[in-house]
Amino acid sequence: MMDVLTSFTFLIVAIGTMVLAFTGGLAGTISVMKGQSLIGDAIGHATFPGVVLSFMLIGIRETFTLALGAIILGIIAFFSIQMITKHSKVTLDGALALILSSFFGLGMALMSFVQGNPDYGGTQGLNDYIFGQAAYMLSSDVYLIIIASAISLLLFIIFYHQIRIYIFDPVFSRTIGINENFMNLLILTITILVIATGLKAVGAVLIVNILIAPAVIGQLWSNRFPVVLLIGGFSGATAAFTGTYISTAGENIATGPAIILSLSAILVLSIFLSPKGILRRGAHKGKLGEDQYD
Amino acid sequence: MIEVLLVLIVTALATSLLGVFLVLRSLAMTTDAISHTILLGIVLAFFITNDLRSPWLILGASIAGVLTVYIIEVLSKTRLIRPDASIGIVFTALFAAAIILISKYAADVHLDTGIVLMGEVIFAPFTRTEIFSWSIPSALLQMSIILLINLLFIIIFYKELKVSSFDPKFAFIAGFSTTLIYYILMTLVSVTAVTAFDAVGSILVINFFVAPALTAYLLVKRLATMIWCSMLFAVINSVSGYFIGITYDLSIAGVTSFVAFITFIIVFLLNPNGFVSRKIRSLNQKREFNRAMILMLMNEESHQSLTKSEIISHFHFNAGKFDKHMKYLIFNNYVTRTNEHYTLTELGEEYTHYTREKYDLPV
Repeated sequence: MMDVLTSFTFLIVAIGTMVLAFTGGLAGTISVMKGQSLIGDAIGHATFPGVVLSFMLIGIRETFTLALGAIILGIIAFFSIQMITKHSKVTLDGALALILSSFFGLGMALMSFVQGNPDYGGTQGLNDYIFGQAAYMLSSDVYLIIIASAISLLLFIIFYHQIRIYIFDPVFSRTIGINENFMNLLILTITILVIATGLKAVGAVLIVNILIAPAVIGQLWSNRFPVVLLIGGFSGATAAFTGTYISTAGENIATGPAIILSLSAILVLSIFLSPKGILRRGAHKGKLGEDQYD
Repeated sequence: MIEVLLVLIVTALATSLLGVFLVLRSLAMTTDAISHTILLGIVLAFFITNDLRSPWLILGASIAGVLTVYIIEVLSKTRLIRPDASIGIVFTALFAAAIILISKYAADVHLDTGIVLMGEVIFAPFTRTEIFSWSIPSALLQMSIILLINLLFIIIFYKELKVSSFDPKFAFIAGFSTTLIYYILMTLVSVTAVTAFDAVGSILVINFFVAPALTAYLLVKRLATMIWCSMLFAVINSVSGYFIGITYDLSIAGVTSFVAFITFIIVFLLNPNGFVSRKIRSLNQKREFNRAMILMLMNEESHQSLTKSEIISHFHFNAGKFDKHMKYLIFNNYVTRTNEHYTLTELGEEYTHYTREKYDLPV
C-alpha cells in the first residue's frame, strides 16, 4: 500500500484530481443552487467532439489544444441550449437531452472516422476522454488542471459577492445593476474550465457528477453558502484522493468511475447522517420546534 | 445490408413513439438517466447468465431502469435534493458502477465499453433467428416486437396518456392513476432502451427517443399529428444517417444522432413560427413602428415642418436608416419635401388621425 502512496505518478495524478474535484465542488454549487445542474452534463458530453475535432485538425494528442477544442464545443453547446429554450417552446429538459446526445453522436462519428483512417496515428488515447483514465495522465495534464482551476477559483473569489447575490436573489441582483448576461458568462467560464480540463481524469460522460455531488453533500450539512462551498470542495477532494488510490492500486479500474463511486459513498452517508438527513431529521425538527416555543 | 437499415428504422420508430410522451412530460433527462443505468442491469444479469442474448438481460435491465426512476423519485421526495440534481447523481453513480464491473470482470467478452457508447448496428445481421422458415436478424425480430408493444400501449391507453400528459390534475380528479401510467411508460422506456442497446448503445439511444419528437413538437399542435410527424422524422433521420454512415464508413448511430440535430435545427429555424420568420416579423414590425412614429411626430403641433437633422436627433436614427424610411414615406405619398423641410400630406394626416382613433390617443 505504501508503494502506491509514495509513488511519483500516483502523487501527480492525485494532486491533479484533488484540485479538479475541489474546484468542481465550488463551481457545481452555483449551478445546483440555480436548479440547472444538468447543463453541466450536456456540456460534458458536448466537449467530446471538441477533443476529437482538435485532434483531427492539429494531428497530435496535445493537452492544451485538446482542452481548447473541448472548451469551444462546450460553449457552442451552451449557447445552442440557450437559443433553443429561449426561442421555442422546447423545455430545458428536452434541449439538454437533444444537445448532449447529438453532440456526443457527432463525437462518435468523428471518432469512427479517425480510427478508420490510417492518416491519424495514436488514436487509442482519445477513448480515455470518454470514461477518464487518470493513470495515463501526464504532468502537463496536471499543470493544465492546476492553471484552469486557479483561474476558476480566482474568478470565483473576485466575483464572490455578485455570484452569491445572483444565485439567491436574481431580482435584487438586477436592481443593483449586476449584468445577467455577464453573470451567465462568468458561471459558464468557471464551469467549463473544470469540465474541459477534467475530461482526461473523469471522462466526458460522468464529469457532471463531480459538479453535482459535492454541492449536494455541502447543502446537506449546512445552510450557509461559504460553509456549503467548503464542505463541497473538501468532500470532492477527499473522494478524488480515494478514487485515484483505488484506481491505481486495483487493476482495470478507470479513475473517473472510482472517484464517482467514492463521492456517491460520501453522499449516501450524508443523506442518512447529516443534520438534515433521514436519520436525524426527526431530532432536528424536534429541536426546531423547541426553539420556537421556548 | 438492407437489414441493417431495417433494424435502424424499426429501432427509431419504437423509440420515437414513446419519445412523444417523454417530451410532453419533460422526462427527457430522466430517460437519459434510464438509458445509462440499464447498463448496470445488463452487466449484473450477464454475470448470472453469461449470455448476451438472454431474455434475462432484458428483465435485469428493465428492473434497473424502473429502479432508477424510483430512486430519483424517492430522493426528490425527501426534499433534500432537487429533482435535476438527483437525476445527475443517480445515473452517474450507477453508470460508474457498471463501467467498473465491465472493465474489471467482463473486458474479454463481447460486452465492452465500445458497444456501450454507440452500439454496433452494422453487426446486427450476424445474429439470426429462424421464424416461419425465414431467417431474419434477431435484433430485427426483437425490435419489431417492442415496436408492436409500444404501438399497442399507445393505442390502448391513448386517452389516459393524453390526459395525464397535458392535464395531470384533471387526470387525478377523473380517477386515472397517473402514477400507474407513468410507471408503465417508464418500464416500456427501459425495455425499449435495452432492446435498442445493441443497435445504438446506451448513450445515443436518448437521441432516438427525443430528437424526432422534439422536432415534431416544434411543428404541430395536435397529439396524433405529433406522433405521426415524430415517426416520419425518425425514418428520415435513420435513412439519411444510414447512407451517410455507410458511404463514409462512420458510426451509423453517431451520424444518425447528429443528423437528427441538423433536422431539428432546420425545423427550428425555418418552421412557420420558427426563429427566422419570427426575426423577420419583428424586424418588419420595428420598421413599421418607426415609420408610424415619424408620422406621429410630424402630426404634433409645432412639429409640422421638420428638417432631416431634427427628426434624426429626435429618434436617434442614423442617416441611412432615416433616408430609407423617408424614401418609403415620400414614395407612398405620406410626406412631402419642400426646401429641406418635411411636412405631412393629406394622406399622412389621415393616417395619423386614424392611428390616434385606433389607439385612443388625444386627437
